[in-house]
Amino acid sequence: MFLSLAVLPFLSDSRSMYIMFTQIFIFAIFAMSFDLLLGYTGIVSFGHCMFFGIGAYSVSLFLKNFDATISYFLLGVLVAIVLSGILSYLIGMLSLRLKSHFYAMLTLAISQLLFVLAEKWRSMTMGGDGFTFPVPELFRDRLSFYYVCLILMVILFVILRAFTHSPLGKVLKAIGQNEQRAEALGYQILHYKVIVSIVAGVVAAISGGLYAVMLRFVNTQVFSIETTLDALLMSMIGGLGTLFGSILGSGIVELAHHGLTELAKLHPIFERWVIFLGLLYILVVLCFPSGIVGSVQEWREKRKQRSMQAATITEQVE
Amino acid sequence: MDVATNLLVNGLATGTLIFLLASGLTLIFGLMSVLNFAHGGLFAWGAFAGVWLFGLTDSFFLAIVGAVVIGMLLGFVLERVLIRPVYGDHIQQLLVTLGGMLVISELLKVFWSPNPIRAVLPDYLQGSIELGDIILITYRLFVIAVGIVVYVGLHLLLTRTRLGLIVRAGVIDKEMVQALGINIKQVFTFVFLLGAGMAALGGSLLAPYSGVIFAEMGMQYAILAFIVVIVGGMGSVQGSMIAALLVGVLGSFMAYFVPELSLAVNMLLMLAVLLIKPSGLFGAKG
Repeated sequence: MFLSLAVLPFLSDSRSMYIMFTQIFIFAIFAMSFDLLLGYTGIVSFGHCMFFGIGAYSVSLFLKNFDATISYFLLGVLVAIVLSGILSYLIGMLSLRLKSHFYAMLTLAISQLLFVLAEKWRSMTMGGDGFTFPVPELFRDRLSFYYVCLILMVILFVILRAFTHSPLGKVLKAIGQNEQRAEALGYQILHYKVIVSIVAGVVAAISGGLYAVMLRFVNTQVFSIETTLDALLMSMIGGLGTLFGSILGSGIVELAHHGLTELAKLHPIFERWVIFLGLLYILVVLCFPSGIVGSVQEWREKRKQRSMQAATITEQVE
Repeated sequence: MDVATNLLVNGLATGTLIFLLASGLTLIFGLMSVLNFAHGGLFAWGAFAGVWLFGLTDSFFLAIVGAVVIGMLLGFVLERVLIRPVYGDHIQQLLVTLGGMLVISELLKVFWSPNPIRAVLPDYLQGSIELGDIILITYRLFVIAVGIVVYVGLHLLLTRTRLGLIVRAGVIDKEMVQALGINIKQVFTFVFLLGAGMAALGGSLLAPYSGVIFAEMGMQYAILAFIVVIVGGMGSVQGSMIAALLVGVLGSFMAYFVPELSLAVNMLLMLAVLLIKPSGLFGAKG
């Protein structure tokens, strides 16, 4: 799939399609980071947008106030990584002891505080009006930015895959499935939860930085609850606990958005495309709680088991 | 001194309104332990339905009753379709009701419009009463009165009636109540309907209070309502009342003295309570 995405620009040269796919890649990174929390470890965070927003603002402020060069972009990303690392560490240490729904509300509160801060600190952020800024030469070309985001998505996918397949990732999965049992096995739950929230925070910050560069504009919208909901929708629809699902989910949500707004020309109901998205999402939660990728995996497992059973039976018969 | 009294009265009125928004959530979230994120959608519907019906019938009373009925109908559908399959699983509830929230807020835009709508008051609730230097706005007094009635009604329902007993018992041990031959599912549906109706009531009273309503108001006020339930302690009607008044009064004083902080004050309050006493001011269980 990654290969076909790499050759896609050779088949079509529509600018709007580049932008749409770039957006898919960026949100895929964001959704993957969210999935680390919810899908793997069972942590419900409602404030994941705060790291996305921190990334977006760090990068935009550097590019706006200094030179629009790659080095300032990287510096902005670095600052975002450090800031979100520290913040996720503090929040994690303070509040991951709380029960899941309390933690969810607490993260929501903190992200809303950042939202208010960004609204009020107008000299810096221009509030809800936001500001535009120049982007480095390399990113100005939609095609090269397409590849930058695609490559980054693939790299982060590989890194996070390695992370979730590592012994540490296995512990996270154990916590996600049964926290008490993992604790009884002697694991320091809090320790692992803090680590995963730092990783998730940092990855989200990177995606936020890319997002701002894509739009060449930033406003307080990045801190709104809708941003968190996007990540939630994408990782749920694709399949919780599968990084690949987040990429797929991001693609589905963005394509659905695009396709349904196109249909709005036919009938105005399609302008309210969120209804369809919401219905799809409800259907997924109630009927396919493991999402698209998860359901396919389960189906495959079942088939494998069945064929194995069949094989043993034929063996016995022979 | 007069400033302080005025701020206090305004804060109390806002607080009562917040209590009306949060009381339905207290029932659903606090007692039945269902995290209903679609709650905000319900009071946004209450607000829109109230304004629409008031324009249609010209009777504020009928508009409120109609809004409550619409809210209950929506609540019924929500409970049957979304929540019934996921009783007992917090994360699932959170996820599925979030989807419900998306759908009903968007439907709102289909039925009415995506643009903000102005809400007006009937003549007899306009104006104000002056007591010396203190100016009391009639509608605020009306809201406070409704809030007191709802509070007392809820309190009596939960502590003095058989239904309240069953609900409280069902929360502690669902299987045991079921074993005693009571259809707990039906009771929960009823409580959910009640909560949904109160959400719509809160919404329909909020509309003329804030003057303008918009489809996104649901999420905004839902967050406020969640804050109140958490600060007050889950399932405690008394706790939510006090937390709501606290939020209202704190908000009105902050808006006057430290306006920069006024938007963040609720979040800070919740943060502090969660970190010091996660079960909330009046919460028993941790």
